Amino acid sequence: MILELLAVGLVVSAFLAVYLDGAVYSVASLTCTFALTAILYSLNDATFVAVFQLAIGVGTLAVLFLSGEMLSEKPSGKKPLKNAFLAIAAALLLSVPSVFFSVGTIQTGASSEVSFPKALWNLRAIDVVLQGLVVMTVALGITIVLYGKKEGEA
Amino acid sequence: MAIGIYGLLTKHNLLKVLISVELIAMAASMNFVLLASAMNKALGEAFLMLAFSTDTCVTGIILALLVIVSKKYGTCDIRKLAKLEQYRAIENEAKGDNKIIEDDV
Repeated sequence: MILELLAVGLVVSAFLAVYLDGAVYSVASLTCTFALTAILYSLNDATFVAVFQLAIGVGTLAVLFLSGEMLSEKPSGKKPLKNAFLAIAAALLLSVPSVFFSVGTIQTGASSEVSFPKALWNLRAIDVVLQGLVVMTVALGITIVLYGKKEGEA
Repeated sequence: MAIGIYGLLTKHNLLKVLISVELIAMAASMNFVLLASAMNKALGEAFLMLAFSTDTCVTGIILALLVIVSKKYGTCDIRKLAKLEQYRAIENEAKGDNKIIEDDV
């Protein structure tokens, strides 16, 4: 029952994050989506990932998005309330397959339990490459921002 | 993922496009984690950590670009930005033609 409610909440909040006009409301819906995803992970025995999702997803992205919202244009006019109810109804309709249909997993004869630290150790090469990519991306981002600032001053 | 693709195709605000991309990425990583936990393997969780950290940095970069675009052009609408670029190209062409005429004179 809880999983079904979570699934419905996830779909509805994700739909509202895309549908709503105001950036703050979209960000709030997206934060809800991230929080519900973290709860879903913790219910599926992926506690570490749930905490990681909460820390990174809810905290950092919410701050980033709100700072982006401060500099974006405000929406002109308000949508009528009827449209909001129609959107929620459409989202509830979209969430019906997640409640009534389930995907079963095929258990193979050779399934072995791989612990999380062992899995991380096995993926250390990819981890190093991706972390390097992350650092390069951050450096690129800082360069772009400083270049934009320099152009603005010039 | 379907909701993210819908937002990517129909929304014109850069922030909404970014939210849609985030939803698609979250759907893909959720797929990894839930399948891995159903099959009792931790590989999917490890993948999520790697993918999520990369995705967060890419999001930060896109937000930085959004801030620059918003400050420079005063809008985040893709259609208006495309028109602005068209007008800029036309203006530059006109300036180039005037310069040729002035050089001839």
